[in-house]
Amino acid sequence: MSYSQTNTDVEAAADDLRRRTLAHMSTYLERMIYLGSTRDYNSGVYYHDGLASRFSEMVACEALANCHRDAFHEVLQSSIENLVQQLDSYVQSTRSAPLELIAAWKNLQPYRVAVPAGTDTLAADFLCSNVKIALAIWESHQDGRSRRQPDASLPQLPAQ
Amino acid sequence: MIQLIISLLVGVALLASLYFFVRRSKPSAEGSAQQLREARQTLDSLQFGLLPNDLVHRIFAKEDLEYVVSSAPADVQSLFLSERKDIALGWVRRVRGSILELMRFHRGHARLYAQLSAATETRLALNFASLLALCRFLQIAVYLRGPYAAPGMVRTVAATAGRVCNISEQSLQFLKVKELDPLNNTPSSHGASV
Repeated sequence: MSYSQTNTDVEAAADDLRRRTLAHMSTYLERMIYLGSTRDYNSGVYYHDGLASRFSEMVACEALANCHRDAFHEVLQSSIENLVQQLDSYVQSTRSAPLELIAAWKNLQPYRVAVPAGTDTLAADFLCSNVKIALAIWESHQDGRSRRQPDASLPQLPAQ
Repeated sequence: MIQLIISLLVGVALLASLYFFVRRSKPSAEGSAQQLREARQTLDSLQFGLLPNDLVHRIFAKEDLEYVVSSAPADVQSLFLSERKDIALGWVRRVRGSILELMRFHRGHARLYAQLSAATETRLALNFASLLALCRFLQIAVYLRGPYAAPGMVRTVAATAGRVCNISEQSLQFLKVKELDPLNNTPSSHGASV
């Protein structure tokens, strides 16, 4: 298979991936985490059964890697404010308990392994630093909300 | 007697310096190729990793500070300033390190391969010197007063580094890493694997 043919296939596969899978994810953070999770941590190779069956394993791998890099770049370019919004959307999309998710993210820092291979170390550090700050801000907003909510939902004591 | 010893010592010192000079002026073919390749990689790292406008703008973006100050408690604000300071210092350190590497390469090897004019070499030397000094000032400013201390200096460092890269690019134009290593030109090496 020629290089240009492979390249065209990779673009077609990436397009397919964007339309069928990534379009359902509303934020670049979510896409970056998802695409990072399709990579085998031992070999660094990306796997996607559906895409591999439509194209080939190699083409699917390249397409996933390209989309992963794009998503990473977009997250890197996001302002802190935008990143906090993306984090909020991500928490809602996972349907897990927000405080548990935040605790896990703070302890395990899963976003560190979601960095594409070959990324400049400064860019990787910058992204992790931004996510860490966004987490802290999001948590402080949650604290504010949870402090307000119990007050609002406290049963009214009967007047003495 | 003392004069004889001094003369002998001076003679030995001169011979030793001559020996080192001769050794340095004959780089091996493999060593030179390696240094050329490293210089090309340093240049790529500067141009595509450290100096892109969007990355520099984002690291030093004041809008992030304004947002954090307006919507986060004091402890998160300090966390933000400390994290951004580390990143900013890391950026300046990396730019300075890369510029030093390029300067060493130019001083030692560029003249053997490139057809640089005296005017270009002088301009390059001045740019190197001013850039290294600027990076040092910026490091001190960021260290003492935080990442937003000298936005003008950040812009100047990025612009001057860009100019140095362009001049270095001219002298290394004949050498592209992709062309040097055809194995790296295959589609499977475009970041799909670690």
